Amino acid sequence: MSPRFRIALLVLAGLVLMPAAAQVMAALPPFGSTIARYGARINAITPEARHVANMVSAINFDLRGLDTLGEEFMLLAAITGTVVLLRGRRGEGTTGRAMRLPGRAVIPRSDAVVLGCRIAGPLTALFGLYVVLHATVTPGGGFQGGVILASGTLLIYLGEGYAGWRDSIRSHWLDALEGGGALLFALCGLVPMLTGAAFMQNILPLGTFRDLFSGGLMLVENLGVALAVTGGFTQLFLEFMEETREAEEPDEPGEESA
Amino acid sequence: MSVLPYAVAAWLFGVGLYGIATSRNFIHLVGCLGVCQSATYVLLLGLGYRWGSIAPIFYDHPPGTPAVDPVMQALVLTDIVVGATLTALLLVLTVQAHKRGGSLDPEKLRPMRAGRKSGRSQDTSRGDEAARGAR
Amino acid sequence: MTILLPLLLLFAAISGTAVVLVRDPNRQVFAIAANGLVLTILFDALQAPDVALSELAVGTAAVPLLFLVALMAVRANASGEEP
Repeated sequence: MSPRFRIALLVLAGLVLMPAAAQVMAALPPFGSTIARYGARINAITPEARHVANMVSAINFDLRGLDTLGEEFMLLAAITGTVVLLRGRRGEGTTGRAMRLPGRAVIPRSDAVVLGCRIAGPLTALFGLYVVLHATVTPGGGFQGGVILASGTLLIYLGEGYAGWRDSIRSHWLDALEGGGALLFALCGLVPMLTGAAFMQNILPLGTFRDLFSGGLMLVENLGVALAVTGGFTQLFLEFMEETREAEEPDEPGEESA
Repeated sequence: MSVLPYAVAAWLFGVGLYGIATSRNFIHLVGCLGVCQSATYVLLLGLGYRWGSIAPIFYDHPPGTPAVDPVMQALVLTDIVVGATLTALLLVLTVQAHKRGGSLDPEKLRPMRAGRKSGRSQDTSRGDEAARGAR
Repeated sequence: MTILLPLLLLFAAISGTAVVLVRDPNRQVFAIAANGLVLTILFDALQAPDVALSELAVGTAAVPLLFLVALMAVRANASGEEP
C-alpha cells in the first residue's frame, strides 16, 4: 500500500464516519447536564452499603470487582509478554553497564543529585504507600499507588547509578510480587465461595465510614492490585533498561543460552 | 460548549489515526496510539461530568451531595494503568522489529521469512536451519 | 469556572495534536509528557482526582520513561551493528 493510497483511504473513511460521529454527538446528552442513572444510584447507596467514602474504589474492588479481576490479568499478561520477549533473547545475566551509549560521555553525578534522590526516594515511597492504603477513603488506590511506588524506585537509579539500582532490585522478587498480587486478587474472589457466599462477595467486616480500615474485602483486593502493579511496573523499567546494555557486550554469558 | 468535550474526543481520535496512518517510525506510531487512547478518556469523563457536582468521594462532603459519575472514572482509571503496560508491550515489539529488520520504518519492514540473513549470528544459524527444513 | 473547562479541553486537543505532529521520536517524548500533564489537569478539573493521580503517575512519568529507554535500546542496537 503506497502512502498516498493510505491517506486517500483515511480521508475516505473520515468522510464516511464524520456525519455519523456528528449525529452521535448531537444525540448524546449535553455536556454537564446529567449523569447516567447507574452512577447516580451508586453514589446514593454505596456509602451506606459498603461504608467507604471513595466511590471509584468501591466500583473497582467491590461492585464491579470481576471487571477489575479481568484488568488485573490483562496487566499480568501484558507484562509477562514484555518480559518473555525481552528476556527470551537476552538471558538473565546481570551487569552494571546498561543505560550507556558508546561514545557518549558518562557525566559523574553531583552530590546534590545524590542527596536529592536520597531525600526524595523515601518520601516518594511513603506517598505511594499512603495513596495505596487510603484507597477507600481518599483519592487513590492500588493502581495509582503502585505506579507511584514503582516510579519511586527509579530515584535509586538516578541517585545511586545503574549498578546500585540493579543490586537493590531483585527480578525474582518482582515476579513474585506481580504474580502474588494477581493470585491474592483471585483468592479474594474464591475464598468467599468456601464460606458459601457468592464470588467476590464482601464477607469481611465493613468497618467504619471514613476510617482507614473500611470496606472489608476491598482492602485485601486493593493490596493485591498494589503488589501486582508495583511489581509489574518495576519489572518493566528493569527489563527495558537491561535491554540497553546488549550491544556493548555481545559476548555476555547469558546471551548464548537464549 | 455542550458538545465541546465530545468534539475534542473525536478530534483526538482522528488526529491520532492520521498519525498512525502517516507515521514513518514505529515509536512515533505508538505515541499516536496513545493519543487515540486519550480520546476515550476525554469522552468517558465528559459523559460522566455534571456541572456543580463534587468528585465522587464523600470524605469532606456528606453522602448525598450531588457527585459526578464514578463508573466512568473507574473505567478510565484502570484503563490508564493497563494501557501503559500495553504501550510497553508495543514498544518491546518495536525494539524487536528493529533488531530483526534493522529499521523502524513501517514502509521498509518486510515480512519475516525463515532464512533471511539477520544481524545476529545465532539468528542466522537458526534461520538457516529453518530454511533448510522448508526446502 | 465555566471558562476553565473549555480552555483545558482545547489545550488537550492542542497537546494531543502536538504529539502526532512532532515526528522526531526523541522530541515526541516531551510532547507525550506535556500531553500527560495537560490531561492530568483536565481530569482534575472534571472532578476525577483518582484518574488524575493515575494519569499523573503513568502519563508524565512511566510512559515517557519507557519511550526514552526504548529509543535508547534502539540506538544502542543500531550503533552496535554498524561498526
